[in-house]
Amino acid sequence: MQITNQKMNAVVVVSPSGSIDATTAPELGAHIDDLVSHDDVKLVADFASVDYTSSAGLRVLLGAAKQTRAQGGDLRLSSVAPDVMKVLSLSGFTSILKIFDDTDSAVASFA
Amino acid sequence: MNSRPTVSLVIGSGGVKCAAAIGLWSVLREAGVQVDSVVGCSGGSLYGAAIAQGWDPEKMRSLSESLWTGDVMQGYRENLKASKDGSLRFTERSGLVDDSVLNANLEKIYGDLTFERLDVPLTLVATDLHNGEKVLLREGLVREAIRASIAIPVIFPPLEIDGGLLTDGGASDPLPVDVAIQDAADVIIAMGFTLSYRTRFRSITAVQEQMTSIYTNNILNATYAFHNLAHHAEIFPVIPELDEQVSMFDVDKIPRVIEAGEAAARAQLPHIQRALAG
Repeated sequence: MQITNQKMNAVVVVSPSGSIDATTAPELGAHIDDLVSHDDVKLVADFASVDYTSSAGLRVLLGAAKQTRAQGGDLRLSSVAPDVMKVLSLSGFTSILKIFDDTDSAVASFA
Repeated sequence: MNSRPTVSLVIGSGGVKCAAAIGLWSVLREAGVQVDSVVGCSGGSLYGAAIAQGWDPEKMRSLSESLWTGDVMQGYRENLKASKDGSLRFTERSGLVDDSVLNANLEKIYGDLTFERLDVPLTLVATDLHNGEKVLLREGLVREAIRASIAIPVIFPPLEIDGGLLTDGGASDPLPVDVAIQDAADVIIAMGFTLSYRTRFRSITAVQEQMTSIYTNNILNATYAFHNLAHHAEIFPVIPELDEQVSMFDVDKIPRVIEAGEAAARAQLPHIQRALAG
């Protein structure tokens, strides 16, 4: 899995690519842990290049949302593909995470 | 020592839509995915039992035809009318359908097969009508457990097993992923169904049916959300997409339902295979 970061003012846009499953989720989790440990707690997960997320991936997202919110920030999602959105919806994540159509809107929502 | 991840297959409630499990099973067999345990609920129990017995997809297709015969709903209209005019006394043991045909069909299909004789361990889910609790059925006659699990409230009479009056498993746990979690399965393949909503309401029973669909769909989403986070490994949801409404007894739509099940399974297969490869 490739993960890139882009800092936009106080917000870090994290862009993973490919599938987030049991084999790749720990890498994403560690990546977010590292950001939070450096006080980057306003995060946008740009899912434009994510084609799949399993239950292991969802647990990482929930953990990241809890961590960032505990420190006054948040994890928000953007550009989620329809197949991934189905999984998020079925799992109740559309109720507990803020999800935006595009990354600019997600970043702007922190203002 | 078994080094490969253990796989549990869960087939949830969904009436005729549960025939999509035939498509799922055919994809898993073709890919050589070994299933270590099976869980079924309501309509899903019919196909879960067949999978646990190692039936091939063709035999499962004939199951649908043998079960949902034209006379399986016998007595419904007459009893509905009688319940309205007060001539039928309805109790917790009643159903609008005379279940003798359904019982005979189940006997014809599953005979005296017991849980103990199945190739793969099977758990079927029903609901205790008196206290709402989920009941796990793992022993005795498979057909009796199926009969309890598919006892759609008001339509089919509940069935007494071991002192409990059992009704539709979908009332307590429409997609019983938690049973597979309890059994410590590493990989859970969960085929679930949301119930279709009506657009026209012309009777009290239509409104009641709509409310049941709303309740059941919300229970499905809430329990799946919880189970998804509680599991230690991977859950793969296989949710067939149908471009038309399929209600509880639309038997003529079964071929298209099976195709939708197969398509949904094929979409998940690469991810399942990756999890199994470790």
